[in-house]
Amino acid sequence: MLTAIFRKNKPQTDTYDESYYTAGQFALIKARFMKKTVGLIAGSLLGFMVLLGLFAPFFSPVDPTIEGANPDYRRGAPQVVYFWDENGFSWRPFTYTYSKDKPKINLSALAKGGNLAALDALTSSGALNSSTQNLFTVDKNQRRYLQFLVTGWEYSLLKIDLLGIDIKWDRHLFGVDQGSIHLMGTDEDGKDVFSRTLHAIWVTISIAIVALIVKLFVSLLVGGVSGYFGGKVDAVLMSITEAVRVIPPIPIYLACAVALSQIDLTPTQRYFAIAVVIGALDFAALGRRLRTHILVERTQDYVLAAQLAGSSHGRVIWRHLIPSFGSYIIVDTLINFPYVILAETSLSFLGLGLTEPVNSLGVLLQKAQDPDIQQNMVWQFFPVAVFVTLIMAFVFVGDALRDAADPYSERNK
Amino acid sequence: MIIHFLSETWLLWLILFTGALLFRASRNSQYFHYVFNRYLLALVTLLTVSAIVFSLMEVLPGDCAEKMIAYKNTQGESITQADIAAERARMGLDKSLPERWVNWVTDLTLKGDLGFSCAKRQSVNLALGDRFWLSFWFCIAGLVFSYLIAVPFGILSAWVLNKPWKDRSPQHTQAKRLLNTAGLGLAKMTDVMLRIISYLGLALPNFLLALTIILLYVFAGEAAPTGLFSDEWKQVSWFTESGFQWGKLNDFLGHIWLPIFVIGWSATALQLQTVRALVVDESNKLYVDAAKARGVHGFNLWAKYPVRHSISPLFNSVGFDYQRIFNDLPIVAIVIGLTDASALLIEALAMTNDQELAAGILFLVALVVISMNFITDIVLAAVDPRVRKSVLGTGGPA
Repeated sequence: MLTAIFRKNKPQTDTYDESYYTAGQFALIKARFMKKTVGLIAGSLLGFMVLLGLFAPFFSPVDPTIEGANPDYRRGAPQVVYFWDENGFSWRPFTYTYSKDKPKINLSALAKGGNLAALDALTSSGALNSSTQNLFTVDKNQRRYLQFLVTGWEYSLLKIDLLGIDIKWDRHLFGVDQGSIHLMGTDEDGKDVFSRTLHAIWVTISIAIVALIVKLFVSLLVGGVSGYFGGKVDAVLMSITEAVRVIPPIPIYLACAVALSQIDLTPTQRYFAIAVVIGALDFAALGRRLRTHILVERTQDYVLAAQLAGSSHGRVIWRHLIPSFGSYIIVDTLINFPYVILAETSLSFLGLGLTEPVNSLGVLLQKAQDPDIQQNMVWQFFPVAVFVTLIMAFVFVGDALRDAADPYSERNK
Repeated sequence: MIIHFLSETWLLWLILFTGALLFRASRNSQYFHYVFNRYLLALVTLLTVSAIVFSLMEVLPGDCAEKMIAYKNTQGESITQADIAAERARMGLDKSLPERWVNWVTDLTLKGDLGFSCAKRQSVNLALGDRFWLSFWFCIAGLVFSYLIAVPFGILSAWVLNKPWKDRSPQHTQAKRLLNTAGLGLAKMTDVMLRIISYLGLALPNFLLALTIILLYVFAGEAAPTGLFSDEWKQVSWFTESGFQWGKLNDFLGHIWLPIFVIGWSATALQLQTVRALVVDESNKLYVDAAKARGVHGFNLWAKYPVRHSISPLFNSVGFDYQRIFNDLPIVAIVIGLTDASALLIEALAMTNDQELAAGILFLVALVVISMNFITDIVLAAVDPRVRKSVLGTGGPA
């Protein structure tokens, strides 16, 4: 009904539909959003990626932790899935069996003379490099067929500690009949890059969610109090906000991260601490906007009515003033998603956010800096591609949403 | 003696003198009243910034005395707990946080002294040297780069927003229609391309872009232009007996584009969106319709009405754009291997825990942002009648 009105080339006069005039703010935003093709495509891509991240253990064929690492396939290249090769066609996709080459190190020269020149020649020949040590022969006659819903390591499909829910399962979407499959190759420890990336998506997104919730809370508090009371409270709070706004945030995150690294935290606690720090320091922009809005809004009659009815200050702010700005707050929060993710990534990239055993996109991106990986293990750039896609999807959705939330956007159409 | 005291405390006198001048002017003019208020506000913000920065640095582990002692330890002197306490007392570290902050601010406002860098073993002013200016000009160059791209193309983007792909106006001749169609198509294409690029700029973090460019150089088999100079020119000074070294300048320009391009890139993305949104907003307003009705059209209409009015909010945000660019600079500096203030900041924060140095750099950045905001505010109030009216209340006929 609602979407029909927004359809182009359809005059509004021939079917007068009241739903447009009675529709709520969110219904209007939704209807406008549904019209944006790019936003919808990006939205479904985003939904797909979030789903991949949320059920990463199910979608990943290999355990991404050190227990699941494949010591026989360190620094291994991606294994391509084929349907046919020179040995014939198969309906069932397959990869090949590989075996590790014996490193060909000629120690006879060393054994004979035992002089340093021979040792130098050996080291400079590159035979001791890890990339030459980890060479694999592919046996094209031994196929490994892909299987679906295979049994693998046990994981928690759904885990909510608060409610005591913990559903365990051991099926995975796909795997091979023997050994393991590494779609995007492995890293130095033999951990599967594909599975790590899938797990990292959710870690990164959940950091952003926690950070945004904290940010929302702090901005609502500062903006709400400052706007509602005005006067001296407003002056003090706003000068602090202004001061926070002019200091570049990344150095502040860094200082806090360094301070955090002094406290003995488990990786999970550290992860939440970083999210809280990023969120708590990001309140300035939204807080200011909220304050400006509330400064205007607080003189309205409905606020006076609420006050006369005996509402407390907190109730007036929380139940009357903030909801009047609700759609903006939600849209702003969603638009800020990629920036929070970027903040976490930058921190992890510098080695001060999350660190190695944790699978977060920042941790995986950090590897892109390593010249060894740049030259010998290009497949470790897969997380980079996933990261860029994820952020792009967020940016497109946020942009479409911003256009949809703008009440004046229809005037031109 | 007095001369010495005056030259020691030059910064304080400068601040007071400017304040007094503005105060005097503010008694006769409403505009200077506003400027004076903004000046006071800027000073208060600076003070708050210094307090925030200073207390933030307290969370960094270790203090100056410990570092000094550790340094002496490496020199072979044996140190006891009493020595540490004595050192602390000498440096004033045994005082409470507010006291030390007051000391820091007094030193700063009296002499422009940013304190003593423990890890570098010299004063912060010396340790920073020209590096701060290097960073400053980096950011300015990045800003200029981003504005040069964002402003014209943002306006173009807003202009083509509601234009059709084809010119179907029956008043035009066939040839003119064809020409217009081609022009419109080209403009639309540019708009789409730029929007894609700008989205990429938002999605691709700076350090990834820098890494990608370096990687491309590696694949091409050439040395990537990291750092500020290549090795052969690093030690050569700008002026030798044979006059100015043009080769060094050439080498410098060959390296400098990379950081400027990289930090300008994501700023451009955001700027482009802002300009576009501003111009679109303004072009819907009634005064544009009124101008159209008076017969103003084409370039004149755009340049004089919506564009002119959307420039002032953009100009107003220069300070925060600078802040955003500086925010990205440290990580880029690490990837590219620069040796400017931002690299120093990362070093001080993440490696050597050098509180005073980090606080000094952060404070200077905030100082630049605040001064920029101050200047843009007063310039805008002087130039833009709308702002003048809103800040001065009933400020006479606009």
